[in-house]
Amino acid sequence: MSKPTDLVQGTLDLLILKIVDREPMHGWAIAQRIHRMSDEVLQVGQSALYPALHKLEQQGWIEAEWKVSENNRRAKYYSLTRDGKKALAKEAVQWERLSAAISLIVRSA
Amino acid sequence: MSRLFRQLRLRFRSLFRRGRVEQELNEELQYHLDRQIEEGLANGLTPKEARYAALRSLGAVAQNKEECRDLRRVSWIEDMVQDLRYSARTLRKSPGFSIVAILMLALGIGASTVIFSVVDAVLLRPLPYPNPQQIVRVWEQTPKGNRISLADQNFDDFRTQNTTFADLAVYNYRLQSVSGGSEPVRVKVAAVSKGFFKALGIEPLNGRNFAPDEQRLHGAPVAIVSYHYWQQYLGGSSDLSKFHLTMNGSVYSVIGVMPETFDFPHSVAIWIPGELYPKLHSRTAHNWQCLGRIREGMTLAQARANLSTIARRIKDQYGNDVHLNDAAVVSLSDAMVGEMRTALLTLLGAVGLLLVVACANVAGLLLARASARRKELAVRVALGAGRGRLVRHFLAESFVLSFAGSLLGILIAVWGIKILPLVLPENLPRQENIVINISVLLFALAVTIAVAFSLGLFAAWRAGEGDLQEALIAGSRSHTGSSASQRMRSFLVIGEIATTIVILIGAGLLGRSFLRLISTNPGFNPQNLITVEFSPPVSMGQTEQSTIVRQAGLMKEILTRLRAIPGVETVGLTSGIPAAAGDNLPEGDFLILNGQKPPANSNEWAGIAQNSSQVGHALYAVAGEEYMRTLGIALIRGRMFSEQDDWNSPHVAMISETLARQRWPNQDPVGQIIFFGNMDGDLKPLTIVGIAGDVRARGLNRPPGAVIYVHYRQRGMKANSSPTIVMRSAAPMGEIVSSARGIFHDLAPDVPVKVSTFANEMGGWLADRRFLLLLVGLFAATALVLAAAGIYGIVAFSATRRIQEFGIRLAIGATEGDVLRLVLRQAAILIAAGVGLGLLGSAMLSRFIASLLYGVSSLDLLTFATVSLLLSAVALVASYIPARRATKIDPLSALRYE
Repeated sequence: MSKPTDLVQGTLDLLILKIVDREPMHGWAIAQRIHRMSDEVLQVGQSALYPALHKLEQQGWIEAEWKVSENNRRAKYYSLTRDGKKALAKEAVQWERLSAAISLIVRSA
Repeated sequence: MSRLFRQLRLRFRSLFRRGRVEQELNEELQYHLDRQIEEGLANGLTPKEARYAALRSLGAVAQNKEECRDLRRVSWIEDMVQDLRYSARTLRKSPGFSIVAILMLALGIGASTVIFSVVDAVLLRPLPYPNPQQIVRVWEQTPKGNRISLADQNFDDFRTQNTTFADLAVYNYRLQSVSGGSEPVRVKVAAVSKGFFKALGIEPLNGRNFAPDEQRLHGAPVAIVSYHYWQQYLGGSSDLSKFHLTMNGSVYSVIGVMPETFDFPHSVAIWIPGELYPKLHSRTAHNWQCLGRIREGMTLAQARANLSTIARRIKDQYGNDVHLNDAAVVSLSDAMVGEMRTALLTLLGAVGLLLVVACANVAGLLLARASARRKELAVRVALGAGRGRLVRHFLAESFVLSFAGSLLGILIAVWGIKILPLVLPENLPRQENIVINISVLLFALAVTIAVAFSLGLFAAWRAGEGDLQEALIAGSRSHTGSSASQRMRSFLVIGEIATTIVILIGAGLLGRSFLRLISTNPGFNPQNLITVEFSPPVSMGQTEQSTIVRQAGLMKEILTRLRAIPGVETVGLTSGIPAAAGDNLPEGDFLILNGQKPPANSNEWAGIAQNSSQVGHALYAVAGEEYMRTLGIALIRGRMFSEQDDWNSPHVAMISETLARQRWPNQDPVGQIIFFGNMDGDLKPLTIVGIAGDVRARGLNRPPGAVIYVHYRQRGMKANSSPTIVMRSAAPMGEIVSSARGIFHDLAPDVPVKVSTFANEMGGWLADRRFLLLLVGLFAATALVLAAAGIYGIVAFSATRRIQEFGIRLAIGATEGDVLRLVLRQAAILIAAGVGLGLLGSAMLSRFIASLLYGVSSLDLLTFATVSLLLSAVALVASYIPARRATKIDPLSALRYE
């Protein structure tokens, strides 16, 4: 396992929003999904994940619901709210612009 | 569901269903942990290894949880409640500390609140008139910048020529005998001109204001009475038509009653139209105080500029015949408070310093407590308490302390306000308004919060200083305490001493001034003097022979019978006792005739006055023949008044030594003829027959002034005097007083008298100066005690912290004396630093009270030196006691001491 890459500040929020947009998911699954989807480049520790989840919930972008998980235990499932969808769209555009801009500089230099 | 609502719901949930939320957080994290372990097992780890790996990857669970909680924004409320509960619990566990701290804060906050309530009532609260900021006092201003009362003619010019005043009015007042109510009394009666009540914006409660027809010379005499007079002497009856008051031989119909809250000028009972007095043509008879209401939309500066222009015009026109060349305009609220402002602000400053000393003491206690609690704090940090949380904890603790102190302090203030009247001088305006109201409570609250914050942050800062983990490791085997906390303690001691020095020096300067004042020689013997103040049984403005002779006859009868009272040595008569009530004496310009004919009218008067060598300025006093002898005023030259001087003989005068020196420096004033008829309306010139020793007529703090004494049997007692009989007697006062009352009752039943002693009257005068000294002295003494206790505490604590060190020193051969010197030397350095800093501060601050001092420089060396010595001695004793105890320890037990 390669050394996990540090996430750019604020991008974790975007990743979480993107992932729970597909389907409601609990914290562990979110972490796993990020890990897998990034070709195991990104690894999110519990210490970053849960505060981020609670903050997003507090902001009203995601909401939580206790459901039974795939291994038959109660788990807290997060899903995107309408505000969250709007925020995701905005954040995604923002990210596209930012990353395009950064790549532009990095490649040309 | 709207976003806002959802957020609110979440926060309420976090706040009120804390257990549930907390449980969910645990469950969520537990789920994560379990999945992690499962994954480890799936990857072929043993259960134990999997669990270990999972836990390691989780990091600090507790911190993580705390972070999640922090994100649920309400956590600060939970924390606060929790902190407050925890603080209350820990404070209860150390009742000694808590009680002492609370008492000290209560004292500081209570005293500040009392003083603030005075400042609020007297200085801050707006006057009880509509648009009070538009009301001003007006004076003539001399080229030297002195403010003097207005002369009739100058006022007329001000009133008719100004464009900036809605109303401009004059008034004056004096004590007068008033009969016609349920009993004759001596009360303050004010003569007020047209527009007086309108300028203040207050209408009578019952009845009506003066009518234009009553506001003229020879108008029908009418009077408006105060609510208090109406209640007490007119039975509060709503039918005013039946009341007629006799004053100065005229009968006044009562036409109105002012509202209960109306009290201007202070404690006046009756207002009459000022127009009843004949207008004087002189522009230097400064008989009237003046007030006005500035037109809506105009400013004080505009009004002042306007009156200045008029004043300059008067000066241009009349030159030396007027004293003014400018006008002074001051807002009524500022004018009313006058000199009291400095006194009250001084008090507020002193009590503020006292509060600082009290807080320093509590801070000292907190320091001691903090270092005793270092381990507890270290554990809390290790368990995940963030620095912010720690600060909050200390804030909570100091809030609990401060609010407890504040509650007790407000109780102290409520009680303090009740005993204030015993201390406050009678002439402090608006003191009846002193109450604990919302603004006073807000002040107390603000002080409390400020104190709580500074103490809390101080404690937190102290506790955060240095590495707490080190404290945990080092355990209790700390030796001298960190150098940082040592520094803090030094800082506290120095600050406390410096602050106390400043208050003590303030009190010392005021005390020295007071001593100077009461030991000033008034120019006469003030012992064993009984005073009987009464009203002249004569109409105002009458100078006819018949009136004066009749008055003189009555006075002679009274004086003769008073002299016959057994035990009475001498009896004299004056128009105002010096020093204690000297401000009652009128003053004015007189002419030195140099053989010229006395002036017959104001034009001739002005003609002679053009030659400035023929004009002098003096106080006007009426005296009976035995007055000087009774008071013990020395006769320097010539003779005193005698039985032979009467209405028909040439009118005589005595002058004070100062006046003789001023006006006749190289010649003998005895035999000179002067004219002072502008004071009493009697045009007969006066021949100077004697020079009397100087008396401090206008108060002990004023230099002896120029005085011209005239004879009561020639000039009579006028309305502008406070006739007083003085009796010297070493016999018990009671019998003499009742005999004197009896004699007045027989001979002048309508004349109310006020019997007192000179010492008593003087006491009233001194009370103005004493209250400030008393209160500042009280604060200073309290600060001294607090500082001593604080220094004792801090030195004792430092010594305890160093007991092991002392043990080592003693064990390797140091003597008790060495250890004692060690502790004392350190204390002495702090004390010296504190004293130095305090002296520096005092030198900068004491000039603010310079106007309150008498005969003492604000940098008085003696005071500065004495206070420094006193405080150094007290502080050294306070350090010596714990230092001494430190030397008495047994080295072996000291080494084991923890």
